[in-house]
Amino acid sequence: MAVSDNPVDGFRFLPPSLGAWIAERIGAEEFKGQIPWTPLAKPLNQSRLTLVTSAGISMKTDPPFDMEREKKEGTWGDRSYRAIPREATEADIDIRHLHINTDYVLQDINVMLPVARMSEFEQEGIIGSLAPTVYSFYGFQWQSTDFVQEAIEPMSRKMKEEGVDAVILTPA
Amino acid sequence: MGLAARYLEEAGLSTVVLTPTPEFHRLVGIPRSTAIAYPYGRPVGQVGDKEGQRQVLFETLSMLENAKKPGEIRHLSPVWPEEPKDAKWQPPEMSPVIKLYLDDIRAARRRKG
Repeated sequence: MAVSDNPVDGFRFLPPSLGAWIAERIGAEEFKGQIPWTPLAKPLNQSRLTLVTSAGISMKTDPPFDMEREKKEGTWGDRSYRAIPREATEADIDIRHLHINTDYVLQDINVMLPVARMSEFEQEGIIGSLAPTVYSFYGFQWQSTDFVQEAIEPMSRKMKEEGVDAVILTPA
Repeated sequence: MGLAARYLEEAGLSTVVLTPTPEFHRLVGIPRSTAIAYPYGRPVGQVGDKEGQRQVLFETLSMLENAKKPGEIRHLSPVWPEEPKDAKWQPPEMSPVIKLYLDDIRAARRRKG
């Protein structure tokens, strides 16, 4: 695989009106603030990884993410999170998301939460290990940062307990 | 997702976001990203395409070791095999927030000209 010189156009798959609207909200200015930075402390083949997706995936044995309130209050999004065991397959999960077609994840969990691919990388020694737990929250958080304390903070504590060094995040 | 990455990075974890919309970095300031021109809901690749998924993830992992400075974005080259209109990534029903802002969304296209 090559890295491209052409920047990815993040609006390519959007209807033109929605693309224009989101582009307006993002604005044209480059980010100027501080960006937190933790370099990888060990080589990848000695590091423990985990995964976080915002796709609204839960185990069938857990409550699904709440879409009913969002249907009534269009700017509200469920701020909870779910822990998912790394062995989870399509057969074990539920997915709730009002902004994407969720069918593909139910056919192949790896398109969004690539647990099987990461297990292969572990067996091949490309990464040190995949942690026992991976995670999902729900990515529609309209002008709200409360999900960081309610979902990401508890995830980070569990990651520390499981000795995680690095995280791959996959937005839906 | 950028805010989640920032929080985890502050908590002492290295992060990389595999994103179909790298433009959000301008708004949030994301520590490390790989950008991929794939439809929403399938950033790792097509259903059942193990080799394609592995390549995208391999490049994403290498960003953890090779990124030199905060805010770095690596743009990946694979091309989705379908045209956007055929990718069927959208939900069966218009999302609540789009219903709520539909007039302004339509106006945004006119404003853009």
